[in-house]
Formats: sequence, C-alpha cells, structure tokens
Amino acid sequence: MSSSVQKISGLNRVIHEPARLILVALLSSVESADFLFLLKQSNLTKGNLSVQLSRLEQAGYVLIKKTFRGKIPHTEYRLTERGKSAFEHYRKSLGSIFD
Amino acid sequence: MNVQIDRAVKLTRGYWFVDGFTEMTSGGFFVLLAGLLLFGRNASPVTFPSWFLSLAVEISILKFVGILAAILILWWLKDHFTYPRTGFVRGKRVTAAQIFMITRNVILFLLLPISGLLAASLFIASTNSVLASMPVWFPIGLGSLWAVFFALAGEWMSLLRFRIIGIIHLLVGVAIGIWQSAIGLPTSPAKIQPGIVQAPILESIQRTLISLCFLILISGVILIFSGLLTFLRYRKENPVPYTENG
Repeated sequence: MSSSVQKISGLNRVIHEPARLILVALLSSVESADFLFLLKQSNLTKGNLSVQLSRLEQAGYVLIKKTFRGKIPHTEYRLTERGKSAFEHYRKSLGSIFD
Repeated sequence: MNVQIDRAVKLTRGYWFVDGFTEMTSGGFFVLLAGLLLFGRNASPVTFPSWFLSLAVEISILKFVGILAAILILWWLKDHFTYPRTGFVRGKRVTAAQIFMITRNVILFLLLPISGLLAASLFIASTNSVLASMPVWFPIGLGSLWAVFFALAGEWMSLLRFRIIGIIHLLVGVAIGIWQSAIGLPTSPAKIQPGIVQAPILESIQRTLISLCFLILISGVILIFSGLLTFLRYRKENPVPYTENG
C-alpha cells in the first residue's frame, strides 16, 4: 500500500463525512453557535442536522449546552478541545495527501 | 471542498456584520464624535501640554461612553432582530495576551510617534516644519491606515464591501490632504518658546483636528450607508423570524 493511500485510509471518518465536516468547520471559527445558525449555514435539514450533531457529540467533538434566553429554550453547540485537535489534524492530513 | 469550507469559515467570522447593524452603529458613533469635536469644544489653549491633555481626555471619554452605548444598542438590536432570524453565534474570546499585544502595538506604532513629534516641536526647530505640514500628512496617513485595516478585515471575513470601504477611506484621506495643501500651510515660527503654543503651531494643530473631524465624519457616513444597504439586503433575505414550521 502506497503512503498516499495509507494517508487517505487514515483520515478521520467522523469528520470526513461532508455534512459533519462543514459543521466542524463552522464551529471551529466561533466560540459556540446555536441550532438555527448551523441550520441556516449548513443548508442541512433539521433531522439530518440533529443526527450529525449527535454523532459529533458521541465522538466527543461537540459539547451541547442547553440554556434559556429569556423564557425560550436555547441550545448552543461548542467544539471541544478534542474536536478542535481532530479537525486540525484532519486538515493537515488532507493537505499532505495533495502535496 | 476545502475552498468552500474556507469561505464558510470566513463568512462565519463575519457573522457579526451580516445585518449591517454594526456598521450603522459605528457610523452613527463616528458622526456624533466628529460633530462634538467640530462644534462642541473650546479651542483657546493657554499652554500646549494642558491643551493636549484636555483634548486626549475629551476624546478618551467620548470614545469610552460612545463605544459602551454602541455595544448596548447592538446587543439589543441583534437579540431582537438577527438572532431570531439567522441564529446566535458567540464569537471567539479575545485573550488577555491578545489585548495586551494590540494595545502595545497601538501605543508603539501610533500614539508614541505622534506624541513624540508634538512634544519635540516644543524644543526642536526642525520638527516645526513637519508639524506645520501635519494637516496634510495626518489625514493621508490615517486614511491609509484605515484602508489597510478595512482591507485586512475584508480578507479575513471574505467581505468585498469592506475592501471597497478601505479604498474609499484612502481616497478620502488623500482628498482631505490635497484640500489642506491647497489652502496653504502655516509657516514655522522663527523663534521657539518652549511650553507655549505659538500661532502657526496652534493653527497647524487646529487644522489637523479639522482634517481628522472630516475624515471621521465622512467615514461615519460611508459606514452608515454601507450598513443600511446590508441591512436592507438582510431583511429581504430574512423577512420574518424563523419558526419550527420553517
């Protein structure tokens, strides 16, 4: 197996999925964001977005914080240190494949 | 994919500017600041240090109060208009080290050279010619500085309008400089009297202040206009708050 093929097969599959990749990328540039923001920016359906966020939470990449803004329930999503590090590593790995 | 992700990341960084409120609020603050500096101050200094100190204190207080008021207005507007439409984002926290670095750079590269030049003009005759031409070079320099700032911000957040605003600031700075040059510059005094503001120096400082006021005023108008256009587009794209039914 050539080194580039090894690199491709070694890519983080949790992040590599396009919908999750865009979510991690969006969250990487902010402290936290709510469901509506991620919905609007990612163009995913509500169901798909929920599923992908749950998957990222299970992997320990995203932290979900439920609060109230006034009387309205509000859910914020934040990338964990593990998630940040995994995304950074993914970017580097992807870049090195094309170098 | 990577290019699209980079763009999404840049646009997310610029989410604070998505509705035009930030530009309109900052523009309004600039117009008020320019108005107060132009019409609301007593320009009869007795000694140079006291005049310079009073001006610095006045601008600092105006900035502090103005920025605080602008932030409160912005929070309210975004909480009631933007977040229900396109969602809430908490920007990345600025660390103490970053604040220290920015403050240090502003002091080192902007405030110290200007203060040093003004202070030196009291004692060194040759600096007076530099001071005499300050109404020309100051607006050009400041306009260029703002142009660089807006260009970098535009690149960082992938916002074309910020790059355009940067170019306009450069042109406005140069135009004010040319205007001041066309009026004719005050001549340097032959004899230096330390600690006392002499008429040509006073004229130079006052004309620089007027240049600065015009630059701030025009900048404010540009920002309000840009913010208004952005707001109208945002409202068209997001006419009503988001609901569960879409």
